[in-house]
Amino acid sequence: MKIAVVGKGGSGKTTTSAVLARTFARSGASTLALDCDSNPNLGISLGLGEDATEQLVSVRDAVDAGEQEHASTPDDLLERFGVDAPDGVRLAVVTAIQNPQPGCP
Amino acid sequence: MRVGFVGKGGAGKSSVAGTFARLLAGTGERVLALDSDPMPGLAFSLGVDQSDAGLPDSAVEDYEHDGRTAYRLRSGLSGTAAVEQYAARTRDGVYFLQLGKAHGPRWSNTRQHFGFQRVLDDLPGDGWSVVGDLPGGTRQPFLTWGRYAATFLVVVEPTPASLLTGRRLAGLTGMPQSPRVLAIANKVREPADAELVAERTGLEVLGAVPYDPALGEADRLGRAVLDVDPDAPSVAAVRSLVQALQSREESA
Repeated sequence: MKIAVVGKGGSGKTTTSAVLARTFARSGASTLALDCDSNPNLGISLGLGEDATEQLVSVRDAVDAGEQEHASTPDDLLERFGVDAPDGVRLAVVTAIQNPQPGCP
Repeated sequence: MRVGFVGKGGAGKSSVAGTFARLLAGTGERVLALDSDPMPGLAFSLGVDQSDAGLPDSAVEDYEHDGRTAYRLRSGLSGTAAVEQYAARTRDGVYFLQLGKAHGPRWSNTRQHFGFQRVLDDLPGDGWSVVGDLPGGTRQPFLTWGRYAATFLVVVEPTPASLLTGRRLAGLTGMPQSPRVLAIANKVREPADAELVAERTGLEVLGAVPYDPALGEADRLGRAVLDVDPDAPSVAAVRSLVQALQSREESA
């Protein structure tokens, strides 16, 4: 099962995603929670804590830094740069935009 | 005054920005409100119809640049002229220009995107104030969509996700135009909430807006709180924000 949660800002996407992920994990499914927001905070809703969420390294940053040479498959990337969240959910952040960058339209 | 509102999705940017723009116009300033969110938002708080107050396709022309198709405002159309021709006017006299809104998966807004960008490069100058409302999160703010802003106002709720977003957006001080970055503590229930926002974002707090059920009720009606309940506590708080920023600009 692969689910994408979408909607307007503030409508509850992240909270819904986190509750779904933990519910699936509790029912025995191995569950990957993928934070695709460029301002990622799914970790907070999963119960990982604010500080741990802030310190997560995004897969994009890891690949840009050359880690792809060491972790060549998606599973490897999740192993190396994902973290374990409560109820055994595996969490990975896709990308984070948090510094001034050249404009794009 | 040139201001850009940023913050986490749902923090209250559009509600505060629209009310701010209208109250600023009420002090006698000529105000341009800019909405660069491809989803509707600012029109509600400005009290105008959910229309496409955007640039029509005919305002944008394409041309060849390095073998690729690029876009610019049509020949002879300046950014200022585009604002005067295509911005909607609110009942308070605010000029309102928005990015063309998404019309489903097959709709291309490439021309509107580029056209809007070119307007940002050539905004009306002397005698105008600009109040911009950016989409939630960090993407547009850090990709220079708020490059007109001398001041970024980061709208922050006293919740961990909103505080984390505010902390990230504090990095806007590193933008090329060296903007001032201040926080607005929103949906505040007790004085300690505003202190928490200052402490956890590292930003100076321009002012606080209380949690206000009148705002939620106006949202449910799809109307501006300023029209439904002009004496609401949140409206009074935004009026104080306008005054606070005006007095900062005068003393700067």
